[in-house]
Amino acid sequence: MLMIRAIIRPERVNAVLSELCDAGFPAVTKIDVMGRGKQRGVKVGDVFYDEIPKEMLMMVVKDEDKDDVVKLIMKNAKTGQKGAFGDGKIFISPVEEAYTISSGSTGL
Amino acid sequence: MKEIMAIIRMDMINKTKDALLKEDFPSFHCKKVMGRGKKKVDYSLLEGLIGENERTLSPMLAEVISEGHRLLPKRLISLIVQDDQVKKAVDIIINTNSKGNQGDGKIFVLPVAETIRVRTGESGDEAV
Repeated sequence: MLMIRAIIRPERVNAVLSELCDAGFPAVTKIDVMGRGKQRGVKVGDVFYDEIPKEMLMMVVKDEDKDDVVKLIMKNAKTGQKGAFGDGKIFISPVEEAYTISSGSTGL
Repeated sequence: MKEIMAIIRMDMINKTKDALLKEDFPSFHCKKVMGRGKKKVDYSLLEGLIGENERTLSPMLAEVISEGHRLLPKRLISLIVQDDQVKKAVDIIINTNSKGNQGDGKIFVLPVAETIRVRTGESGDEAV
């Protein structure tokens, strides 16, 4: 199992979530976060904003589903043809165990 | 070291806190999150709430029942424990939160590469 954490633009969340649901990955957790990237924030006039609001989508998927999910998120979170700075990042980390609380069973 | 991430119902956070404290897991952090699981939620039950009441709803509730998001509010708790404590902590969370209904939540166990205590700079197992 792998945990996918994608930090994306707040206005792209709806598009990503509905595509994920249609593709058969309904389970997802959304967390409001603030952050900056390699570009050190956004400069507007003389002011530098380095705490930019983003949304983090967290989901745990089977190893073989990783590529599909990442592709889906990339496709829908991108803005413009080539993409732009600030579209976000996706991080993937291993998950050793998963439990469902209601039944106590292991696995996704 | 392992990180235990548990997504639980909003109203169960106090009980879970107490249960973890009793069994000697005092340290953890928790966050308000929105989420959905495998189960499809029947939003038609909420349709009566929208409409004339829309302006008086709290922003969080409005987000839940609006057309766009359709995510439910949950609490995400995260605690770092030693390898041999994982089973115990997971059992506590399951026993406290399980009501046998879908939506009770999920628990994920992730490996942690390193822990460092900011106050002293010590790292490794004793820093947990």
